[in-house]
Amino acid sequence: MNRIKKGSMIVLAIFVLIQFFQPARNRSSEVSKAGIATVIRVPSEVQAILQNSCYDCHSNNTRYPWYAVLQPGAWWLASHIKEGKAELNFDEFGEYSKRRQRSKLKSIQGSIEDKSMPLPSYKAVHREADLSQTDQKLLNEWLEGALNEISN
Amino acid sequence: MKTILLSLTLAATLFVACNNVGSEKKLADSTTSVSNEGSTPAKTVSNILGDYLEIKNALTKDNDADAASAATKLAGSLQGFDKTALNADQTKVYNDIEADAIEHAEHIASNKGNLVHQREHFETLSAEMYELVKVMGAGQKLYYTNCPMYNKNKGANWLSESKEVSNPYLGQAMLTCGTVKEELN
Repeated sequence: MNRIKKGSMIVLAIFVLIQFFQPARNRSSEVSKAGIATVIRVPSEVQAILQNSCYDCHSNNTRYPWYAVLQPGAWWLASHIKEGKAELNFDEFGEYSKRRQRSKLKSIQGSIEDKSMPLPSYKAVHREADLSQTDQKLLNEWLEGALNEISN
Repeated sequence: MKTILLSLTLAATLFVACNNVGSEKKLADSTTSVSNEGSTPAKTVSNILGDYLEIKNALTKDNDADAASAATKLAGSLQGFDKTALNADQTKVYNDIEADAIEHAEHIASNKGNLVHQREHFETLSAEMYELVKVMGAGQKLYYTNCPMYNKNKGANWLSESKEVSNPYLGQAMLTCGTVKEELN
C-alpha cells in the first residue's frame, strides 16, 4: 500500500511539474500580409468554413479551448499545430510560389475527398468543424475556380 | 519499487511521445546530407530520374513501401542537385520546381499504406519531372504516357523508361491502360 501511495505521489508530482512547462501559443495580433485572400478571391462563406474547420492548425491564430493549458495535452496540441502550419498556412499562402499554391489547393481537394481533413481527433473535440455536404460542395467549387485563377 | 518504476516509465513515454516529431525531421535531414557529397551535375539529373522511375515502377506493382523508400531517395537527390552547371533557363525551371517536387516526394515517402495519396502526389510530381526533362534533357529514352481514366476520367501522365505501358496510377487493376503521347531523349 505504501508503495502504491509513493508511486501515485510521484505521478502526481510529475503531472504538477509539467504544468509549468507551457509551449508557446499560436497567436498573432498582426494582420497577415500574405494571407490566401491576397492572392485568391475568397468569398465570405468560404472564409467562414476555413476559419471554423481549418484555421486552428493552418493559420497563425488558434482558438484555444480552456483545457488547452493542461499538460501534457498542450504539447500534443502544439506539435499538431506546428505540423499543420508547416504543411499549409493560410496566412502565408501568398508567399508560396504559384506552383506550390496550385499543389496546396489540389491537396485540399484530395483531403476533402478522402475525408482525411479535418483530422478525426480534432473533429471528435470540435464537432462543429466537421464539413457538411453543403460545406464540401462550396469548398470544391471555390477550389476549382481558384485553381483556374492561379494558372491564368 | 514496481510502482515507482511504472510511473517513471509513464513519464518517460510522455516525454518521448511529445518529442518524436523533431527527431524524425532530424533523421530526414541527415540522410539528405549524405547523398549531397561528391555528386556531379550529370549524375544527379540521372539520379533524380532514376529515383522517380523507381517510384513509378513500385506504383505499377501497388507496392507502397518501395514507392516510399524510392521517394525518400528522390527527396535527397533533389536537395543534393548541383545547380551550378545549369544555364539561365534551366535554373529558372529548376528553382520553380524544386521545393514543390521535394514536398511531393516527402509526401509519397511518408504515406506508406496509402497508395491513393501516394498516387495523388505522384501525378503532380510526374508533371514536374516532364518539365524538368523538357528543359534539361533526359540522357536516356523516355516515354511520356497518358492514362485517360485516372481521377474520375480527368486523366494523368507519367514518364516511363519503357514503351510498353505499365500504369502507375491504376496499378495491377488496369496495368496496360494508357497510350504513349511523346518520346523524349
